[in-house]
Amino acid sequence: MAYLVQPDYVKYVCSCGQMKPITNLYFCRHCLKIRCGFCICHEVDSHYCANCLENMPSSEARLKKNRCSSCFDCPSCFHTLSTRATMVQPRQDPASGDAKVENKQPKKMYYLSCFNCRWTSRDVGIPDQPVASGGWPERVNPFANRFAQLMEYYKAIAQQEKQEKLDKERKKFAIRGNYITLTDKTGLTGAMARNRAGMPSSESTSSAIANFVLSQATEEVEELPDDYHSREVNLKMITTMPQRLASPEWQAQQVSRLQPIARPLSVKRSQRCRQCDHNLTKPEYNPGSIKFKIELLAFYHVPEVKIISYETIKPGVTSALLLKLTNPTAHEMQIQLIQPNEVPEIEEKEEPKNIEKSLEKSLNLEKDMSWKSVVERKPTLPSAIKVNNPELTFTLAQRDDAAEYDDDSHHDTNDIILWRKSNKLALRLQLTADENAKVGLPAVAVVALQYTYRNTVPPTSTQPRDHTLYTTVTIDLGIVSQ
Amino acid sequence: MSHNIKILPGATVCEDCTLEGDITIGGGTVIHPRVTIIAEGGPIIIAEYCIIEEYSTIIHKKSDKQESPPKALFIGAHNVFEVGCRLESIFGHIGENNIFECRSFVGVDVRIGSGCVVGAACCLTAQQVLVDNTVIWGSEHHIREALEKQPSQLLQLDFLSKVMPNYHRLRKPNVHKRQPSRQSTEPAK
Amino acid sequence: MELQDTYYNKSEYVETASGNKVSRQTVLCGSQNIVLHGKVIVQSDAIIRGDLANVKTGRFCIISKGSVLRPPFKKFSKGVAFFPLQMGDHVFVGENTVVNAAVVGSYVYIGKNVVIGRRCVLKDCCMIEDNSVLPAETVVPSFARYSGSPARLIITSLPEATPDLMTEFTKSYYQHFLPTATV
Repeated sequence: MAYLVQPDYVKYVCSCGQMKPITNLYFCRHCLKIRCGFCICHEVDSHYCANCLENMPSSEARLKKNRCSSCFDCPSCFHTLSTRATMVQPRQDPASGDAKVENKQPKKMYYLSCFNCRWTSRDVGIPDQPVASGGWPERVNPFANRFAQLMEYYKAIAQQEKQEKLDKERKKFAIRGNYITLTDKTGLTGAMARNRAGMPSSESTSSAIANFVLSQATEEVEELPDDYHSREVNLKMITTMPQRLASPEWQAQQVSRLQPIARPLSVKRSQRCRQCDHNLTKPEYNPGSIKFKIELLAFYHVPEVKIISYETIKPGVTSALLLKLTNPTAHEMQIQLIQPNEVPEIEEKEEPKNIEKSLEKSLNLEKDMSWKSVVERKPTLPSAIKVNNPELTFTLAQRDDAAEYDDDSHHDTNDIILWRKSNKLALRLQLTADENAKVGLPAVAVVALQYTYRNTVPPTSTQPRDHTLYTTVTIDLGIVSQ
Repeated sequence: MSHNIKILPGATVCEDCTLEGDITIGGGTVIHPRVTIIAEGGPIIIAEYCIIEEYSTIIHKKSDKQESPPKALFIGAHNVFEVGCRLESIFGHIGENNIFECRSFVGVDVRIGSGCVVGAACCLTAQQVLVDNTVIWGSEHHIREALEKQPSQLLQLDFLSKVMPNYHRLRKPNVHKRQPSRQSTEPAK
Repeated sequence: MELQDTYYNKSEYVETASGNKVSRQTVLCGSQNIVLHGKVIVQSDAIIRGDLANVKTGRFCIISKGSVLRPPFKKFSKGVAFFPLQMGDHVFVGENTVVNAAVVGSYVYIGKNVVIGRRCVLKDCCMIEDNSVLPAETVVPSFARYSGSPARLIITSLPEATPDLMTEFTKSYYQHFLPTATV
């Protein structure tokens, strides 16, 4: 609840070893493991403008350099610019004969204005526009041509290298793949398809490399003006570093040369488990929507631990800790508190290698699992405070939204279970702090939960529906005091 | 403290505000509820067509350097004091068409010209002079100069002075004759 | 951590049939234009300017001490108007915050000492951190977190479960907002 505004008192240990609050964790229903943002795959789902909330297809977004075509940011303070209308009396043009009738109507003209720093497009002499959105003059980078040349050149090189690699692989296995990874990062798909069909690689590739002109260094550099060091500087007229870096193509030095910046797009992203490639979250397409098509959050699947209150931790002293456990799932849950070192190690099943595998590998289709060794680590859990676990397995009822209205079930409360309320219960635990715990250091207790989990994914005949899972939780109890 | 509050005809002053000392409120000015204006160091004169919003505070501070008789704090026409701003000036004059945005603070040593904008939550305490059309914004107090003066809020004032009497108890104007001599001599010092 | 109980003086608050708890020390201007949709807490010294335009809040909103809800003003080419201020369900407004927004969605957390500029649009599920200033006409998208003056998007977005977290937060705030036992 108060997760958004409070520090993270209770942290869960992710299967990759990171410690995160439950709200930042995901739960893969296929691997039955906790995942976090650090060990899952993030993918761009769709592009949209956060200001006008218009979706933009990703191909168009790439064409427009991931910027919105109708919204602009202030070049002075980077706040969004607003369009303002003014009535302009069109200038009387004596040359035109029929001016009398038309010119009586004042014309609406639009300009851009910033409500934060009061910058307006008139400040830099951009003429007012007759339409409310769009139509603002586009500037072309003076080096656009050279830039395009470079892009073409490097694309060609990338394609060539990929081609060579593919040829090499093919020789090795002499198997023709049925399909090829069609990554479209560099726009190479077309060329690769052509290649597969046995057509010669497009001429543009070789010609782009051949016709490329290298950059030339020049000896002659323009002299600085004589008064460069002595000129008086008016800071209000000169742009700041952030202002220059916001539009790297132009980097205006004078305030009077600042131009509106097209607003960068935002993305909706979906997240995927790296182990089994199943989606963990997938948002709805509509940019205004806060709903998800897939939302496998730990918050909805793993029992939630929350501190109600605790006594100050002192070295060698036993103190009380009140915890609240919540079962977020739609099934009953059996929970037992265990020591963190009692959590069984989960063996990674080594999948047998076969010919298909090596084929897959040849085509880069096999999942690259090298990330695991990089990302995964053993968490270091503090051990100064021991939780005296009650030898007790208790049952937590399923989540029931209607239950908040009835207020019964104070049954089976005892020394350990303080109260029960539908899918929640409060526990009273005893903590023993180590005699040698250093005063002034943070006091962190570690507790592990063993809980049953019913998987609602349609099971294959071999897999059981009910699982016993483990999770380890660290609980921040302030600092050790005297 | 002597309470000498003069409200000129056409001013809209809510009853639910704290006015202390010698205060003159010009015609067309709108004072929203929960405003505090304290003239402890000398009289405060608010000219025509100002808007003073909720929880704003204007104090004419007492000062050692004060000459006697104390100089009036003159607030020019068309100034906007947004919600929760605070002005503690001892200087005699504040220009026209300024905007003091929400929760801004202007300390005793700040001189303000005309057409300035003190951005939301900006805090001006050091001794400084804001020349005309200065705009201050952000937590880093960036300064830039606007090209033109801030547009006046006459339309809003019109709306407010029409609507507010329907919902609020107002203080009645108590000066019925305009006193042009008073208004023109005092700020000219 | 669980929320602690907040106690209030029973004589200071008025509780309506729909469960709104409104302090007597507030300024509700034009109360016929203010709709609080039930279980809303309005704490002392808050100002709601219903006289300027309609103000509507959803269920389980918390308007903290000294905050000001003020419909925004807009100048058109033909005349002027104050926009109605709409607020969704489960919205928290911190202490001494000024809200000049046109729309505040549901599940929105606004910290203390915040200034929300005129005609801002706060989409569902967003958070404005303490002491921020949102300049006029900002659109805050869903799951965004804004902070600073002027407020900018910060990288860590809100968790996907924010609707549930805000619902739980405002509900338990309401449940823990209790009258003192003895007056």
